Amino acid sequence: MKNIITIVVRLTVSCLLAATVMGLCFIFTSNAKKHNEHVKEQQVMYELLGYQAGAKFPETMALHEVYRFVITGGGKQSIGYLVPKGHGGEKGFLFVNIDLNGAMLAQQNVALSEADALAPETRNQAVTKVVGPGYEVKFADQTIVVTNSGHRVAYLLSGKFQGFKTFVNVMLAVDPAFAILGLEVLEHEEDPGLGAEIDQDYFKNQFKGKPFEALKTIEVVKAPIPADYLEALNGKIGEEGILKFREQYKDKAVYALTGATISTKAVAGGVQGIVTKFAYRIAVLDKVVKEQQLAVAF
Amino acid sequence: MMMPAKSKSIVLTALLLWFAPFLAQAEGLIVDQTFTGKNQITATFSAPIAKDVAEDIKNYTVFEESDPDILLELSSATLASDGKSVTLAFKAPLNTVKTHVVDAKGLAGIDKTTFRVSKSYLGYLFGILISALLINNFVFTKYLGLCVFFGTSKKKSTAKGMGVVFTLVMVASALMSWFFYQFILIPFNLNFLQIVIFIGLVSLTVQAVDTILRKVNPVLFNSFWVYLVLVIANCVIIAVPLILANNNYNIFETFMLALGAGGGFLLALYLMSSVSERMQLAKIPASFKGLPIAFIVAGQFAMAFLGFSGLQIF
Amino acid sequence: MANDKSSMQLITRGILSENPIFKLALSMCPAVGISTTVMNGFMLGIAVLFVQVFSSVTISVFKNLIHPRIRIPTYTLTIATWVTVIDLVLAAYLPEAYAKMGIFVKLIVAFAIITMRLEMFACKEPVKDSFWDGLGMGLGFMIGMMVIGFVRELLGSGAILGMDVLGFKPLLFFILPSAGFFVVGLMMAFFNWIEIFYKRSKGLK
Repeated sequence: MKNIITIVVRLTVSCLLAATVMGLCFIFTSNAKKHNEHVKEQQVMYELLGYQAGAKFPETMALHEVYRFVITGGGKQSIGYLVPKGHGGEKGFLFVNIDLNGAMLAQQNVALSEADALAPETRNQAVTKVVGPGYEVKFADQTIVVTNSGHRVAYLLSGKFQGFKTFVNVMLAVDPAFAILGLEVLEHEEDPGLGAEIDQDYFKNQFKGKPFEALKTIEVVKAPIPADYLEALNGKIGEEGILKFREQYKDKAVYALTGATISTKAVAGGVQGIVTKFAYRIAVLDKVVKEQQLAVAF
Repeated sequence: MMMPAKSKSIVLTALLLWFAPFLAQAEGLIVDQTFTGKNQITATFSAPIAKDVAEDIKNYTVFEESDPDILLELSSATLASDGKSVTLAFKAPLNTVKTHVVDAKGLAGIDKTTFRVSKSYLGYLFGILISALLINNFVFTKYLGLCVFFGTSKKKSTAKGMGVVFTLVMVASALMSWFFYQFILIPFNLNFLQIVIFIGLVSLTVQAVDTILRKVNPVLFNSFWVYLVLVIANCVIIAVPLILANNNYNIFETFMLALGAGGGFLLALYLMSSVSERMQLAKIPASFKGLPIAFIVAGQFAMAFLGFSGLQIF
Repeated sequence: MANDKSSMQLITRGILSENPIFKLALSMCPAVGISTTVMNGFMLGIAVLFVQVFSSVTISVFKNLIHPRIRIPTYTLTIATWVTVIDLVLAAYLPEAYAKMGIFVKLIVAFAIITMRLEMFACKEPVKDSFWDGLGMGLGFMIGMMVIGFVRELLGSGAILGMDVLGFKPLLFFILPSAGFFVVGLMMAFFNWIEIFYKRSKGLK
């Protein structure tokens, strides 16, 4: 009997010791982890906008986060936007509830700081409070509107779609006319050497400069990339040459990756979906903002 | 083996509950709804519908469940000759991975009929099973469990024994890990204890199976206890709980994953042992004897299993 | 009985005569799965080194307090704790490297080699010797992984440590995961061949 007690006691003590070690480690590292994630995201965003690592981000540029929610309740659904207020340096957000036909249902001030808005829990809490009881609030996605001295210069969109194996996570930069400024593949699980080539420059750069009209009817062609175009995509020729090629190929189909046609089609289709849906939604939001004379930051 | 009446009724009730969601949506009018073709949805009714109402595309509103504000454009709606089913064709291909919601106005006099179209859930579950079994076979595609794999794949009998024991322990410990994960780790934000808890549960399961088998069937125990000990050293046994935690599977998906993982391991062992037995009779160079040639054969199997990549049954 | 082996002897034993990957044929899952580049091999090697050394030292320090009947659970608990620690640290400070290694860092807990080492060495030997032994084993693993990674990266993507050496990709097959089996099998055969050759030449003398 004494034996069992000693065993149990020693086991419990070692478990507690182990748990303490791990707990301490967790507390120390989780802050670092969040910070690193944030820094990495910022880096990706700056690169997409054309500012390579190290280049100074101009002070006149500002990033405005817009959060979209799907509100369900009373047998109906509507879309809610959490938009930063602006014009005069007011902080805080405006919550605009728009129904499925594009008409505004309600708008309300939300006293939320930028940091709190970045954290999902506090953000959801604030929106749920504004919407009131009886409604279910589900976070849909987040867009960033980039302005320079108050004029819109770009939008940063993110999206997730089915690739060949599992999901592909991308971030896009589009200009105010919805032409693509840049594409970055954040996460994927495609085969190395085949589908994984979607994160190589020579694939992603094919999307750069594609106008919205070409994107709406984008197609994939199973042919090898012409050698001179490939050099331009890899950045091996001068800036003027690259721009010339971009202009030449902007309305043409995307060249499929060798041995990864399905991955290519998935990315092309996914990007098309993200941009077309966003274009529709921002048009609806802009119309409401203009009609109701809402004081938003952009 | 006769199933006692009580357990039969329990099974029936369980099955009914599982299918109930599909039945409940019917609202009496819609009997069935599926994706047919790349850009079509076909709905079947319980009674014939008037042609002019059914074929007017303005009566239909279709959107993906997660994007209710983006309405999909229909190109046509065709009523079948018996009037009991209508095929909706869309201008752009549908993303069949997502659930679509269809609102129809005025069918059979009902103001609004809503139904959801999605790929069969059973098919999805089965897909997880096939994925773990073939497409993402844990040995040949994910390269896990190799130590034990090479040790027990010399003869067919050892392969079968190891595979079966492993599948049992796998399913039991995966289900237990799921309970722990859902009800203890997540609510108390103890995710960093994943590794310790999972390996603890595996050890417990092995110990439990050991004790139970010892008492219930000593003969079976004698032939299988060696494999039980090896189970803990198998990377797969802890990979499955880690995967289910990562993807946040529910209990059915966990069960399918564990079954597929165990089954895949059994399959891999069996294939390997069949080749091993034949290799005993082959002339192998001295430096390749034993592990090296086993590795090369495994490599060839891995290449073959690459062919399952991208397989989509459902 | 305390071993009088010097620290160097302990280390080289881990790297050469009892190399975990090539000689003992243990912990092969990562050897096959993620040895696609030298960098991967190096990073996972560091992780295993960390876990091995810390576990050996911990068990050696507490060796008199561990009840013999709960040896194995205690080893498992110790290993799991250190694996969790290195997992959290890597995820926080080296996210890109961590992402490439995927699930394999967490799987270190199932490595038979570490438990075996604890059972055979650390629970009997003094702390200093356990430290060197753990270091040797970890280094042996790391070097083994890096060698495999070197072969696969060079032949598969024509680069070493990410730097283009050959300028083209000889055989894409080598960075596909299934090639891991081939490379490890061939290397094992190579080591065997050297051993046979060595023994034969010694035997003839």
